[in-house]
Amino acid sequence: MMLFKRFWLLAGLGFVALLTGCSAPAPYNYDALLAAEPRSILVIPPKNNSLEVQAPYVFISTISRPLGEKGYYVFPVAVIDSFLKENGLPTPEEMNLVPLDKLYEHIHADAVLYTEIDDWGQKYNLLSSDTVVDMRMKLVDARTGTLLWDAHAEAVRSSDSSGGLLGAVINAVATQIINSVNDQTPKLSRSANTIALNRPHVGLLEGPYALPKDK
Amino acid sequence: MWRRMLLAAGVAIVAGCSTPHQNFYWGQYEHAVYGMYFEPGEMDPQTQIDLLQEDVERSEAKGLRIAPGIHAHLGYLYAMEGNIAQAKTELATEKTLFPEATVWVDGMLSRLNGVTP
Repeated sequence: MMLFKRFWLLAGLGFVALLTGCSAPAPYNYDALLAAEPRSILVIPPKNNSLEVQAPYVFISTISRPLGEKGYYVFPVAVIDSFLKENGLPTPEEMNLVPLDKLYEHIHADAVLYTEIDDWGQKYNLLSSDTVVDMRMKLVDARTGTLLWDAHAEAVRSSDSSGGLLGAVINAVATQIINSVNDQTPKLSRSANTIALNRPHVGLLEGPYALPKDK
Repeated sequence: MWRRMLLAAGVAIVAGCSTPHQNFYWGQYEHAVYGMYFEPGEMDPQTQIDLLQEDVERSEAKGLRIAPGIHAHLGYLYAMEGNIAQAKTELATEKTLFPEATVWVDGMLSRLNGVTP
């Protein structure tokens, strides 16, 4: 009898452990970030593995604000881009190959954000289309190259229809037309970045310009 | 008495709502960055200058700290327009507001000095 009770207790505990394990991701190891205490971040235009050639420049128009709102000094993305171009690096691909010490010598950022875009833009299915942004970002110490923080950022917007088969076809065609004029990726990129930077336990820690939380 | 308490509560609510939950004032900055790559005809340097100068004024009127990079971006735009004096002023402002930018801005300033000795 006693044994039985204990069994159920253990089983119950195990179940609770399982549940909490599922709901909360393992907290990020912030040791390196806490030790480095970066104040400023240099955003390098992303390396692009997607077929959408514009992706790196949509991305850089959506990263300053979420990063700055975490409390960091963010170097002006477009000016940095032209600065690198003027120094003989015409594409993001090449900008990603510059040795850290060169960047540090000329720009003196505490940390550098490298991003790799894996998927970007519209996917046409038979009856609908999805717009996706999918990238991996890593923040490294500009002096040592030590990884300070990394994350996977993605967002999807589906244009599903509930209007039956014909409705779905018309809807897919309509969205295709609308989206070719009205690019959805800036909005998606902005939310993907904001979510990745602010996700509890695994997001980026706040920097020196973060306002103290009221309440 | 009640009236006074109500008033105080009202003020507290309004103040609570208007408290900026943002570190910086960003205005049209990212819109301008997007535009310069994808709608360069519409978002030419002078248009960007107008938008961002407006943002600087708004941020001051609202008592919010202007976002990092905006003054440096303005400096770059003025340099493109050939207004080197104003470009230098904007870059200097960026450095004053954000000492993190000092080394990079000093490099730009010395190159601008090379342009106009």
